[in-house]
Amino acid sequence: MPVLKAPAGNTNAPSQYKQPSRKGKKAWRKNVDVTDVTKGLDELNTQIIKGGIIAEKDSADLFVLDVKGDASITKKFPKIKKGLKSDEILAARSAVPAVPMRKRPAHDKTTDGVLPAKRQRKDYVSGKELSRLKKVADGQHDSTIDIVDAAFDPWADQPQPEPEKAVELAFLPQKEKPKKPKTLEQQSISLSANGKPIPAVYVPKGGASYNPDFTEYRERLIEESEKAVEAEKKRLAELEAERIKLEAAVRSAAEAEAAEARADLSEWEDDSAWEGFESAGEELSVKAKRPRRKTQAERNRIKRRKEEERRLKHEAAMKAKNAQAERIKQIALEVAEKERQLALEKAEFSDAEEVGDDEKLRRKQFGRYRLPEKDLELVLPDELQDSLRLLKPEGNLLKDRYRSMLVRGKMEARRKIPFKRLAKTKITEKWTYKDFQLA
Amino acid sequence: MAKIKKKGQSGQAKNYITRTQAVKKLQISLPDFRKLCIWKGIYPREPRSRKKVSKSATASTTFYYTKDIQYLQHEPLLQKFREQKVLEKKISRALGRGDVGDAARLERNAGRPDQTGKPRYTLHHVIRERYPTFIDAIRDLDDCLSMLFLFANLPSTTAVPAKMIARCERLCHEFQHYLITSHSLRKSFLSIKGIYYQANIQGEDVLWLVPYKFNQRVVGDIDFRIMGTFVEFYMTLLGFVNYRLYSSIGLKYPPKFDQTKDEKGAELAALTLEGVNLATNEETTKAITNGEGHGPDPKVQAEVDKLVKKLRTETNGDKVDEEMAEGEDEDEEKATDAIDKFEPAAPGGDVLPQPTYSGNDPSKLFANCTFFLSRETPRQSLEFILRAFGCKRIGWDSILGEGSFTTDESDPSITHQIVDRPIIQAATTEEGDGEDNQTAQKLGPNQRYPGRIYVQPQWVWDCVNDEELKSPELYAPGAALPPHLSPFVKPMQGQYDPTIPLEEQQTEGEALEAEIEDAKVEAESEEEDSEVENDMDVADDNDDDEEEDSDAEEEKEDEEDEDEDEDEEVLQRQRELEAEISGKAVKSKQVDPKLKAKLDKKKELERKKKEEAEDLERAKGMLSKKKRKLFEQMQYTNKKKSTEDMKLRSKRRRLEKEKAAGKA
Repeated sequence: MPVLKAPAGNTNAPSQYKQPSRKGKKAWRKNVDVTDVTKGLDELNTQIIKGGIIAEKDSADLFVLDVKGDASITKKFPKIKKGLKSDEILAARSAVPAVPMRKRPAHDKTTDGVLPAKRQRKDYVSGKELSRLKKVADGQHDSTIDIVDAAFDPWADQPQPEPEKAVELAFLPQKEKPKKPKTLEQQSISLSANGKPIPAVYVPKGGASYNPDFTEYRERLIEESEKAVEAEKKRLAELEAERIKLEAAVRSAAEAEAAEARADLSEWEDDSAWEGFESAGEELSVKAKRPRRKTQAERNRIKRRKEEERRLKHEAAMKAKNAQAERIKQIALEVAEKERQLALEKAEFSDAEEVGDDEKLRRKQFGRYRLPEKDLELVLPDELQDSLRLLKPEGNLLKDRYRSMLVRGKMEARRKIPFKRLAKTKITEKWTYKDFQLA
Repeated sequence: MAKIKKKGQSGQAKNYITRTQAVKKLQISLPDFRKLCIWKGIYPREPRSRKKVSKSATASTTFYYTKDIQYLQHEPLLQKFREQKVLEKKISRALGRGDVGDAARLERNAGRPDQTGKPRYTLHHVIRERYPTFIDAIRDLDDCLSMLFLFANLPSTTAVPAKMIARCERLCHEFQHYLITSHSLRKSFLSIKGIYYQANIQGEDVLWLVPYKFNQRVVGDIDFRIMGTFVEFYMTLLGFVNYRLYSSIGLKYPPKFDQTKDEKGAELAALTLEGVNLATNEETTKAITNGEGHGPDPKVQAEVDKLVKKLRTETNGDKVDEEMAEGEDEDEEKATDAIDKFEPAAPGGDVLPQPTYSGNDPSKLFANCTFFLSRETPRQSLEFILRAFGCKRIGWDSILGEGSFTTDESDPSITHQIVDRPIIQAATTEEGDGEDNQTAQKLGPNQRYPGRIYVQPQWVWDCVNDEELKSPELYAPGAALPPHLSPFVKPMQGQYDPTIPLEEQQTEGEALEAEIEDAKVEAESEEEDSEVENDMDVADDNDDDEEEDSDAEEEKEDEEDEDEDEDEEVLQRQRELEAEISGKAVKSKQVDPKLKAKLDKKKELERKKKEEAEDLERAKGMLSKKKRKLFEQMQYTNKKKSTEDMKLRSKRRRLEKEKAAGKA
């Protein structure tokens, strides 16, 4: 337990004995002399402690008119010896009763048998409500707008409210309403591969019927199963590629190891060569060419050779040129073919379907995540029932609606993040208990 | 020198803005930004070159038009979001201090802006802004209805509060009530995903998809916050659309909603429509009446009617008059019923088939029927469709909820019962007797009430789509149902359609070929028994004129090819002359003349086809290269389709022939 000390210094308000001027630092509040006020207050306190403010007391309580001396007093009260000042201070008792420490007064224990009316706790907040409040504070409120019953027709002709402006204020310019930009009118970007707008609800084909016509159903089944086969093939090919890659990696690793091993083996054999010990008997024989004039025959020979070379070069160039000319025709044909193909494709897309396909999507999409795949909505042949009661509905409409929004480009794809990523915490040991010194 | 353009001051760099920039500009959080974009119809855009817009843009950066975002800054809803943010801060501060009561008070006050004098935030202004005219709103109703019907059928979870579901349900029912009273439902289709409906509202076709009941799995990978935002918007939209539609047919909106009935599963019957008489401003109530109406007690009314009838018969003493009176009564009941009824001439006569209403008036399709739905049938959709097509009295098992005309299966007024349960084989042998049907309250399996038609649910859908009452034998319980075809797929020209007879859809060439085949078979059989007669026939026919030659069945074929036939005739005559000279018999080719005529016709047809093809080829030469290619592609696909159709038709022809042979 710490030793209690009286605070050092003067406890009184900082003061200035005299206040000759109200200007400057001396006039500051903390510098104002309030000793007489505090003195008076202290005196008041002591008076209360001693049994009440003297000024408020009735004079009868304070004074007794003593007309005759009392003889017995000297007997009653023997002459008091003056004790120690410290004893006197300790023995002093205040007239103000002490503050009770109990929550409820002790004398209230007896009752009259009538229960007191329960207080209504108006500001009580239940735990459930509290957790909800915490969520709201965290930004998770269910709705910010009011949904009320429609009570008017927004498309009715609304009368334009007359501008109630005083004539004298007519010179003021009218407040302009913000104009709607033209860009707001543009349709959202459809994500289908052919760029056609995708309808909110596709017109169902006959194959989607719960009790379909056989030909339509077969068509659909074949189409879907082809798709599934294609996907499976793709998956298998991917697996195969992976396997080959792994195998190659393993093989190359093995080869590298083997090479290393061989290198280890041959280390000692090659050492001699490395260090420059060559077998003897080998001589450096350099034949220096003597400078001399070329003979006429030599010159002619060179000339003839050069001529020949030039001719050959020219021929090769001509041949290449001819070949290219031939090729131009071919290329032209190819280009024409390609163009035709493109035009055909375009024509097919532009003519065959007026609406976009929500399965073949374009490569470029919005946002970071890919769009979810479309569910396979197909009743298998063995599950096909002709009774409505036995129908097992296919697909998930919720997912379907969500995907439709994405595909129509109303918003970017999002993925649910089930757990928020928390900041990584690093646990370390504290070493403070070792922080001591041996004397 | 031209003015030097600074980078980033014009063009794409100025026109587009990234999402992060937009959020910063508007000073709201990303979820709020998403909400605002959905409500205001601001969609992500794609600049031609991302790099030109912003150097740091990656493939996953989303862009918006800068002008859109600038316009968003004037949005009053933005203030709402900011206020919400302030409120969140206040609440979290109060909670941090431990003043839970204060926090609760703050939140409570924010929830009732009307009492605290703060503005209410609704999406009303957004609706007007996004759909300048009512037709615009109707065009976008497909998505709205599909979404709201889906949410009306979801189970309530933390992500989808029950309040929202209830509201969706109510709005949907209100909309259905409009369709019922205005008879604007046109088609419906049972698919494996759900039930499609198509209605025609003010000339616009609206198509939406309703899930089957109790089928919705709530899967994890859907952002319900976003879906909820859409639903909030669409709820406001459908509210206004309903208001407008109701007022357009003189009904009061919102209709009276009976909470207790709704809790008992009355669905459509929980709402009571109230008419607004514009002239006197009087309100007239008009619930789904189930036939009895809100007027006098039906029993009392029946008694009174009987008395009146008795009086009349007493005064007139004539049976004819009584019938007349009855007829008049009926006329009074439904003033618009214009079609005559065939009444039996004598009492106890055969029940005559009544003329059904033509497909023009969908409101009268089921008007004269009383339905009873067995408990295994989908009540919601059946009730809606039947009512939308004029049915007034629908009863169902009490399991299916409140609001039925009758829950008593044995009610004698029922004309049609919809069942979807299999026939139990064992039970038929045990108690196939129909005698004690009247006495027994509950029927055993497979037992039927006499005098009513039992059909499977598909009958209703097929009737509606074909706009006529289909023959119920095909749809009897236990029968193999005909395929349920999509009413939305319009048959192409010349495409095979299983519903119409073969004669109407086959091409000329096909018909001819088939006939030739027939004739050949016939000829072979005939040749065997009478060859001489055949020859005689040939001679006769050739002397005769053209008209006799042509058969009754070939009447429809045109007779353009006269000149060609004349040529043939000349040839034939020459041959005869030659024969006369040489003194031999006419050397006919042992061919049945009918068959020959047909063969000729076929030849003619082929020749014509060839000519047409040549013409086409010539015309194609005139086209540009691009158009020609397009045309070729079109022809190719058409040909593929037509061969397929031909195959189907020939298959059907064969089947029909077999059937005919089986009958004969």
